[in-house]
Amino acid sequence: MDIRLDAISHSYGETEVLRDITLDIPSGKIVCLVGPSGCGKSTLLRFAGGLERPTAGRILQLGTPPQNCLNPLTYIFQDFALLPWRSVRGNISLVLEDHGIRGARADAIIADVLARTKLSDFAKALPKQLSGGMKQRVAIARALAVNPAVMLMDEPLSALDSQTRELLMDDLVTLWTRTPFTAVYVTHNLNEAVRLGHRVVVLSRRPGSIREIVEIDKPLSERGYADSELETIQKHLWDLMREEARAADEELIDA
Amino acid sequence: MKLSRRETLGLIGGAAALGLASPAIAQNRKTVVGAMNLTSHSGSFIALERGYFEKAGLDVELKFFQAAQPMAVAIASGDVDFGVTAMSGGLISLAQKGAVKVIGGALAEEPGIDGQKLLASDAAFQAGLTSAAGLDGKRFGVTTAGSSFHYMGSKIAAAEGGIPQFVPLQKVGAVIGALKSGQIDAWSIVPHIAKPLAASGAVHIIGNVSDFLPNYQVTTVFTSEKNASGDKGLTEAFLKGFSDGVADYDDTMVDRTNGDEAVDEMVKLIHNYVYADRPLEKAAPSIINGSMRLNRGAALNMASLGDQLAWFQAEGLVDSAITLDTIVDASFVETIDG
Amino acid sequence: MPETTLSSPSPASPSGAETRQEVRFRGGGFAPKSRRWVAFVVFAVIIAVAEWGTRTGWISALTLPRPSDVLQTLIDLYASGMLFKHLGLSLTRLVVGAALGASLGIAVGVTIGLFSYVRAGLVPLVAALFPIPKIALLPLFVIWFGIDEASKYALIAFGTFTPTVVATYGAVDNVDRSLIRMGQSFGLSWLSIVRKIVLPGAMPGILSGLRISLAIAIILLVAAEMLGAQYGIGAYILEAGSLYDLERLFAGVLILSLLGVLLSTTIGMIERRLLGWRS
Repeated sequence: MDIRLDAISHSYGETEVLRDITLDIPSGKIVCLVGPSGCGKSTLLRFAGGLERPTAGRILQLGTPPQNCLNPLTYIFQDFALLPWRSVRGNISLVLEDHGIRGARADAIIADVLARTKLSDFAKALPKQLSGGMKQRVAIARALAVNPAVMLMDEPLSALDSQTRELLMDDLVTLWTRTPFTAVYVTHNLNEAVRLGHRVVVLSRRPGSIREIVEIDKPLSERGYADSELETIQKHLWDLMREEARAADEELIDA
Repeated sequence: MKLSRRETLGLIGGAAALGLASPAIAQNRKTVVGAMNLTSHSGSFIALERGYFEKAGLDVELKFFQAAQPMAVAIASGDVDFGVTAMSGGLISLAQKGAVKVIGGALAEEPGIDGQKLLASDAAFQAGLTSAAGLDGKRFGVTTAGSSFHYMGSKIAAAEGGIPQFVPLQKVGAVIGALKSGQIDAWSIVPHIAKPLAASGAVHIIGNVSDFLPNYQVTTVFTSEKNASGDKGLTEAFLKGFSDGVADYDDTMVDRTNGDEAVDEMVKLIHNYVYADRPLEKAAPSIINGSMRLNRGAALNMASLGDQLAWFQAEGLVDSAITLDTIVDASFVETIDG
Repeated sequence: MPETTLSSPSPASPSGAETRQEVRFRGGGFAPKSRRWVAFVVFAVIIAVAEWGTRTGWISALTLPRPSDVLQTLIDLYASGMLFKHLGLSLTRLVVGAALGASLGIAVGVTIGLFSYVRAGLVPLVAALFPIPKIALLPLFVIWFGIDEASKYALIAFGTFTPTVVATYGAVDNVDRSLIRMGQSFGLSWLSIVRKIVLPGAMPGILSGLRISLAIAIILLVAAEMLGAQYGIGAYILEAGSLYDLERLFAGVLILSLLGVLLSTTIGMIERRLLGWRS
């Protein structure tokens, strides 16, 4: 199943946030959205999953999601969004309960996603007992449990320290390599973009529009830490963004 | 500060008394008298308005209270010098703690004179509560446990072999409301409240308190222990002025020996304090209705007080070790026995 | 610049050994620690002073009752069996009234938190009801609900209702919006979001609101027993007050205080059990 953003524009009152964005998310690929702060990349992601409505334009699902998919468009949030009063297991069963999946069937799904995210030993732990990296792995496990057609990831690693981030990037790569998934990955971190993106979409500053789309052909599994080829691409991306980032940084906030 | 000044004045007064060998002693002594806006406090009103207090050497200021309880506490604390109130459990307790002393009598039931009435709510009346004989098990309104209402209700019912339930409602207004709406069955109250209530049809008069408690000493004059034992001059002076006021009241309002004109004049005087929020024409009948005997010379009915104390003790409301002497200093006035 | 005697980190004066000085610790205080026994010492000292003062006559019998007499009064009350008659009636009034008020308050508070129209309609009403001294309405309640138990339940219920509503809708407002958005993003039904995200998320706020509401319920217990109550801790206190019986007055007040402490401890236990997930 593909996702198409068709001529999306959006404004908050007088302020124009996004202008005429058309973008295809092809099945089985990770598309990274990068851009200076305030360019509307997170807003775009919320449109993509139907959490907000754009002023103009449409979001289209092309094709039908696979049969066993419970929640085609599934988010992973920057702040993890785990229910603190539920255990790791409870947080995952939360999203299954509404689909009537309980008992042995739920246990099987939970055991599977916990194994995939290397959390099998922590099923009974409460979120307050977990580190940031583990919390995000729980959130990923929860997303995997509903077998999504597209993962919508909103700066999933931004709340983590840089070492944890490296480890989680490896985990994501492993997950994707085993079973390729479709994802829109919003980040301000260019390193993440070049490590995880098959395609990197650079947005301009407000009002956000597509500046350039960079394709990276190197397989995810072959991209490593301090890869010189990737650094060249990262430098190219930074050159595209530097002036805009500076200008965006100097903008007065009048929210 | 206040007390020491008062004591000094007392000493000066005492010295003056010795010098003159006369009971009229103090001169313009500042004295605070506690009162409530009820006809039973007329002795104080008349003594003030007609200058009897002044003649006794007192510069009296009246301080008004909405209930007897705070007045008793104000006397105990020394903020008020003299007051008139029913002998309640609270007053006995304060006397036991050495704070207050009963020094004279005021309002009393007297056979032949219209006194307090026993009331029944309309609902209870229709259901057969037409005399004190039916009080057993009925809901009898009282302000608080150990109030004079509690005493009256218990004694009246007991005279007919009954025991009512006593419902505390804190304020007279609340008791009236509860009686009118039939939430309680019975109550007893002074005639000037009882008669208009009965006239409205919402309640019925089913008896006279004096039939069950003849010569009931309803209210007493009391003061602080300090005044009673340490400042006899002041206490005597107060009782002198007060008694003159009481004598005028009894002559004019109760015994009617001074003619109708004097009644009108006195009603006008009392109206300054009682039912002051109503026009005189409307207040007058109530004031006249409320005329009950105030004991001449503030005489004390010791038998009635003894009976009341015994009842309070029997009910477990006050310490059973208290004797009448602890509460009453009968050295200032005449006593009536029986 | 004149030569300074302060030791300097500059490597230019490595020989400044004679001015070597340990850095003064200045980070103390401002960190509350658990010192439970202090409360008991304070209580014991106050009671001891009162006992000593009343025994020596330094405190008059009119000012304060002797603590040992108060204790004796309590023992007598217990021995006579009246303690449980008073306590039973008061606890019934407290439990029925507070349960009514709190459950209704939570229900109304949650609906205010969830529905904009209900919020627009009821928040001003609750704000208008909140500051009314409930005691002033007692005579009205007696007319509406009669002089018996119903008016006492109503007064306590009304008194606990408004603070519970305010605490509850505040707690619902404070539920992390990102959690609700997460629920929506996983396609959870509205009812599931309310039941599994909003209510548990509002629980800390609701419980701390209950702490206040229940303290108010105890205060109102005395008021409720002003009219027409022959038995009950409040009636007992009022009777002692009108008889100026300080021993009984303090005995009654002591029972109320203990009731308050008990209630507060119970809520604390419930909090620890239900809100163990809080970091």
